[in-house]
Amino acid sequence: MIQNLIFMNGYGFFVWLSFAITLLACVIVYYKTYRTLQKYEKAFAKELKNLSAQERKKVLEKSKVAVQVFASYNKSI
Amino acid sequence: MINFINPSKIFKWIEKLLNFINSIFFIILIVGLTFALIISPPDYLQGDSVRIMYVHVPSAWISLASFTCIALLSILTFLFKVKNLNLISKSIAPIGLLFTILAIVTGSLWGKPTWGTWWAWDARLTSMIVLLLFYIFFILSQKMIKNEDRANKISGLIAIIGIINIPIIKYSVDWWSTLHQPKSINLLSGSSSIHSSMLLPLSLMLLVLLLYCALIFLMKYKTEIIRIKRKNIKRL
Amino acid sequence: MLTKTVKKRISFLSLFLIISIISIFFILKSLTNNILYFKSPTDIKLIKEINLNKKIRIGGMVKKDSLYISNKEIKFVVTDFKNEILVTYRGAIPNLFSEEKGVVAEGKLKDKKFFIADRILAKHDEKYMPPELKDILK
Repeated sequence: MIQNLIFMNGYGFFVWLSFAITLLACVIVYYKTYRTLQKYEKAFAKELKNLSAQERKKVLEKSKVAVQVFASYNKSI
Repeated sequence: MINFINPSKIFKWIEKLLNFINSIFFIILIVGLTFALIISPPDYLQGDSVRIMYVHVPSAWISLASFTCIALLSILTFLFKVKNLNLISKSIAPIGLLFTILAIVTGSLWGKPTWGTWWAWDARLTSMIVLLLFYIFFILSQKMIKNEDRANKISGLIAIIGIINIPIIKYSVDWWSTLHQPKSINLLSGSSSIHSSMLLPLSLMLLVLLLYCALIFLMKYKTEIIRIKRKNIKRL
Repeated sequence: MLTKTVKKRISFLSLFLIISIISIFFILKSLTNNILYFKSPTDIKLIKEINLNKKIRIGGMVKKDSLYISNKEIKFVVTDFKNEILVTYRGAIPNLFSEEKGVVAEGKLKDKKFFIADRILAKHDEKYMPPELKDILK
């Protein structure tokens, strides 16, 4: 049964390789996308931090996106 | 409609949706893989090599669907000049590129044991290569052109020209003699020449890959929104 | 909602798409001979002047009871149920190659009824089903 699953009557190499390639490519793309997202979130939060207190207040009041990114950034530190 | 695509409004939904998909993804992945690799029967003619279909066919469908979405969004952008649509098509493009490559590579791995060749320049395979080129041009024009408005215009033009290729891919197996087999599933009449015991793993794997696409799309879209907000930080 | 500028853009876009579809249609039409991956035995019959030195591909079904395998060579008849061509071949054959299944042969014509192949590809159909079911259908 296990042997049959691995060799698949001679087709095992092609079947497993195509599933492996798909999985690997998906994992790599997921990781890269995730890292880029983190990088942008960080940069955005940093930029907010560097603003003067008054300016930051104004930005956070106006933009929900800024509030969320800023909140999740402060949580992660 | 315009309110619906307002990035600030949907930003918090993206987070919730991402968490939800992440929580169910692995269960569906394992169920899908079990069906595709273990439970589903081998084919009467192709034996176990038919299992490659469960990654090849969904990949090919997703690659075509992504490009159609990008092209339709580009047409809407061109007609109504809605700016935020560009962010969506930009977020779809890498998914389409990934799955076009996967469809070609897994197709090649399927072709070797069944047809007896890795590659053949028949109409279906060649038009898929053309689709790959359109994706590459689309993404390159977004990356290389510094002026964002111009980049959006040129990539939109590429997408609109590229949509002509989509029906060519779809009908290439009907119009010309190809090595690639004709379509198995006819959406218009709802008929399928794939037995139901193989249709189930196929739809499960399609679901898995669609959920994966949603994950990548949402993360990429979030990145794009943050990028835009950061650019305009002083004007928020 | 449809302002004048939008209407203008719509007509421009449709014109653009129609023109490109028509031109691509004609381009593909003139290239049909190159796009066809293989010719059927009927196509071969209809050709007026055959070029015996040019490599071509022919395709169709392997006729029932026509496959003959010896240790030197393989012989079989390719048919599209109207015309037939006899093919001889030496070398490895793909797993899926068998009688009453699709085949594409690459090689040269000796004459309109005789083909020497140097490569054989199997073409399978769009039906997928478990082996037990196939036995029932028989």
